[in-house]
Amino acid sequence: MSKSQFALYIHIPFCVSKCSYCDFCSFVPKLEQVTTYISALKQEIESAKEKTKGRQVSSIYIGGGTPSTLPAGAVEEIMACVRKNFDLVENCSITIEANPNSFDSEKAKEYARAGCNRLSLGLQSDNDKILKVLNRAHNFNDCVNAVQFALNNNINDINVDIMLGVPQQTKRDLEITLQKVIDLPITHISAYGLICEPNTPLTNAIRQGKLILPSDDEAVEMYDYTVDFLAKHGFKRYEISNFAKEGYRSAHNMNYWKRGEYLGLGLAAHSFYNGTHWHNTEDFTKYLQNPTNCREDIEHETIQTAKEEMIMLALRTTDGLDIEKYNNTFSCDFLQEYKSAINKLLENDLIQIKNGVVRIKNLYISNAIIAEFF
Amino acid sequence: MDDRQKYIRNFCIVAHIDHGKSTLADRLLEETGTVAKRDLQEQLLDSMDLERERGITIKLTPTRMKYTYEGHEYILNLIDTPGHVDFTYEVSRSLAACEGAILIVDAGQGVEAQTLANVHLALDNRLEILPVINKIDLPSAEPEKVKHEIEEVIGIPAMHAPCISAKEGTNIKDVLEGIIKEFPAPRGNEDAPMKCLVFDSYYDNFKGAICLVRVFDGNVKKGDKIKFMQTNNEFEVTEVGYFTPKPVESEILRAGEVGYIAASIKKVSEARVGDTITSATNPASEALPGYKQVKPVVFSGIFPVDGSKYGELKDALEKLKLNDSALEYSPETSVALGFGFRCGFLGLLHMEIIQERLEREFNLDIITTAPGVSYHIYKTNGEMLEVSNPSNLPEASLIERMEEPYVNMHIFTPPEYMGAIMELCTDRRGENTDVVYLDEKRVRLDYSIPLNEIIYDFFDSLKSRTRGYASLDYELSEYKPSKLVKLDILLKGEICDALSLIVHQDKAYERGRIMAEKLKEVIPRQMFEVPIQAAIGGKIIARETVKAFRKDVLAKCYGGDVTRKRKLLEKQKEGKKKMRNIGSVEVPSDAFISILKID
Repeated sequence: MSKSQFALYIHIPFCVSKCSYCDFCSFVPKLEQVTTYISALKQEIESAKEKTKGRQVSSIYIGGGTPSTLPAGAVEEIMACVRKNFDLVENCSITIEANPNSFDSEKAKEYARAGCNRLSLGLQSDNDKILKVLNRAHNFNDCVNAVQFALNNNINDINVDIMLGVPQQTKRDLEITLQKVIDLPITHISAYGLICEPNTPLTNAIRQGKLILPSDDEAVEMYDYTVDFLAKHGFKRYEISNFAKEGYRSAHNMNYWKRGEYLGLGLAAHSFYNGTHWHNTEDFTKYLQNPTNCREDIEHETIQTAKEEMIMLALRTTDGLDIEKYNNTFSCDFLQEYKSAINKLLENDLIQIKNGVVRIKNLYISNAIIAEFF
Repeated sequence: MDDRQKYIRNFCIVAHIDHGKSTLADRLLEETGTVAKRDLQEQLLDSMDLERERGITIKLTPTRMKYTYEGHEYILNLIDTPGHVDFTYEVSRSLAACEGAILIVDAGQGVEAQTLANVHLALDNRLEILPVINKIDLPSAEPEKVKHEIEEVIGIPAMHAPCISAKEGTNIKDVLEGIIKEFPAPRGNEDAPMKCLVFDSYYDNFKGAICLVRVFDGNVKKGDKIKFMQTNNEFEVTEVGYFTPKPVESEILRAGEVGYIAASIKKVSEARVGDTITSATNPASEALPGYKQVKPVVFSGIFPVDGSKYGELKDALEKLKLNDSALEYSPETSVALGFGFRCGFLGLLHMEIIQERLEREFNLDIITTAPGVSYHIYKTNGEMLEVSNPSNLPEASLIERMEEPYVNMHIFTPPEYMGAIMELCTDRRGENTDVVYLDEKRVRLDYSIPLNEIIYDFFDSLKSRTRGYASLDYELSEYKPSKLVKLDILLKGEICDALSLIVHQDKAYERGRIMAEKLKEVIPRQMFEVPIQAAIGGKIIARETVKAFRKDVLAKCYGGDVTRKRKLLEKQKEGKKKMRNIGSVEVPSDAFISILKID
């Protein structure tokens, strides 16, 4: 990507109900809260115009929360504002997240009009038992319909999220989910392990022994199966938890892993722009009061954090870390700098260095492997 | 005898741990008005935090109290003594500074091992003994029975022993009157050349090493030229005084008195416990008896967890040594642990105290290797080596014979636990030398047992096998022939020298197996499989495997997660600093010591 580009993330913090595992910034809103939020968001978009002058937006991701819970017309209104204030590249990838049950024919039409060309559906599982554990209110049929609505409106690039390692999930459950998902005419699958964030209802239930997580061995077995199965059906793993058909990698997410810049707009949205990380306030009232000046945890990158991030993000992908790119970016010698870590990892067959690229051989333990470089 | 000395009493308190020595000392200070009740911290005499926490006294603070009895004001000098076997020599010197000893016995528990050991020390020093029965407030108290026990077991009259509750302050006056009536006054010759016994010393940042002394003959005052009779070092006295328990400067210390001498002495090792201070210009012809140079008996390696902290560890040991002449250390290099020190201690408690002080007072993370003893290795070329570090054990073919130190151990126990104790002692290569029935409820078992077998977890094992009822004491006896081998531990195929041990050959197999099992418990799963092997001279005798961990992440990582994720990994890295890399294996720093627990 050329230097003048950056990605745009727009956060919609609203949901119809809260999932049991969710610690994202989202809530069930009142109607007037939605209206005021959209005007605050537009205010923030307008104010960003000046500082992004001369640069182009490479991709847009409207995430949440659940953007598809917005009232009719809202997405169009937001996107009109975006186009007015930013310069989008040609064929800009514009993704919108939706829940299978809050997406219908009308919404599909609206999103198409707004320029969205990619849809990400939060399915998680086809299994009602597991969806209940996750406190999600849809079923598999909703998903089948949602995909059809999108295709009818020329939104052809479709991702489905599925979750592994959920309490009560068996390998058989997963096999059925995967089979149903690959039978859908979709391009991308994000299959990720459940994370037990503190203070979520699910984590509390697990702590209290009401629910039991699959063991590490079971989780790894499920994941191994997933990787093999998806590969067989044309979905190639390109990052720890992402799989795509040829040519359908998520441009927006690839930008994160390449350590490209991104501007996050809306409540709690994270940004990495001009060498600085920050996020907007997570306090809804504060955001409404001052959407253009509510940054928190502002952190300027140092050579050390920049190095750590480049390694951490690149090693998550199957593309791996390009040693020459690292050396040119930081004017140093990667192989020399991490000699002892590299030797230890090579000795134990945990990484591979081929044609100037470092790749992790066992992505399941990538945290431990990456930490060796810290 | 002059009138002045007639009204002085120098005494100490001896007791088994927890029988209430410190509490009685506090009550005496309070009753004599030395310390007002409101200023009295619980157990005032134990000055180090560590001591207060553990409820044991290590450092001695001699305190001068005043008490009026039948119209005369008496000066009572209380010299507190440590109650642990590691510090037997210090105790003996403190006793030598006294004419009398209060023997506290718990009215519920009766005579215990340390009670007896300390009484014998007091009798050896020809002290008058005043038995005191403490804790009469407890429902389990049987003072009459305990009096009988004292008479039978120790052989001193106890029928008129004061029965007190130090905790509640009951009958403390009886103790004070007992001190005055039972204990003899000092009989020093103030006109003879100066003779002061150093019974303790400590380091003061401004005044240098301070000697705590009992003046036997003559007197000492500021400006006097003094000489230490063992080391022949000479100094000029800068200050003398006594404690209340705070230091109070005085003009002179005279025969019969207890106090301190400061003389710009740079190190406590120049003011050795047991030495005699005399006048440099008019020296005494002979020193007071009983001087011994204390020698460490337990050794272990101490290494910084973070290798770059070697300098800080060195400084810390130097500072501790200023105040602790018994501590010895010399540089040591380990393949696994890098640069550190081989340290010598008086015993296990002493070792633990030093470790804790390094960690608490100097904020150092340290790794301690297995404590061991000093072996005598006689080589075929006639040379004799003292080896405490397993890495220094010569090859088997170069060794003609070996000896290891033994102790005489005395265990006091109710008879029902005899079987369990005998089993434990036999298992630890102990040889039963005597069984003495003290009464129907108490037996004394004597053993000759290798020191190496009791230095680590013996006491814990004894306590758990006897539900806490047995007590233990020992003294070093002699070196005896032994057959020893070096037991090595290999992690992922590489010998970790810091885990090597010298063990008796009959125990090597079992020990190797247990160590491998223990290590499997303490070494966390890593990114790869870690084989653990125990070996004797290249022969593998046990093997365990720590399996590789399976997964640590399958989560997504998008824009909002980047900083959080990076910080998480930074934290993970930080956590690893508590680990030590042995080859590519990460070993928690406490693994080196935790593997020694056998039971």
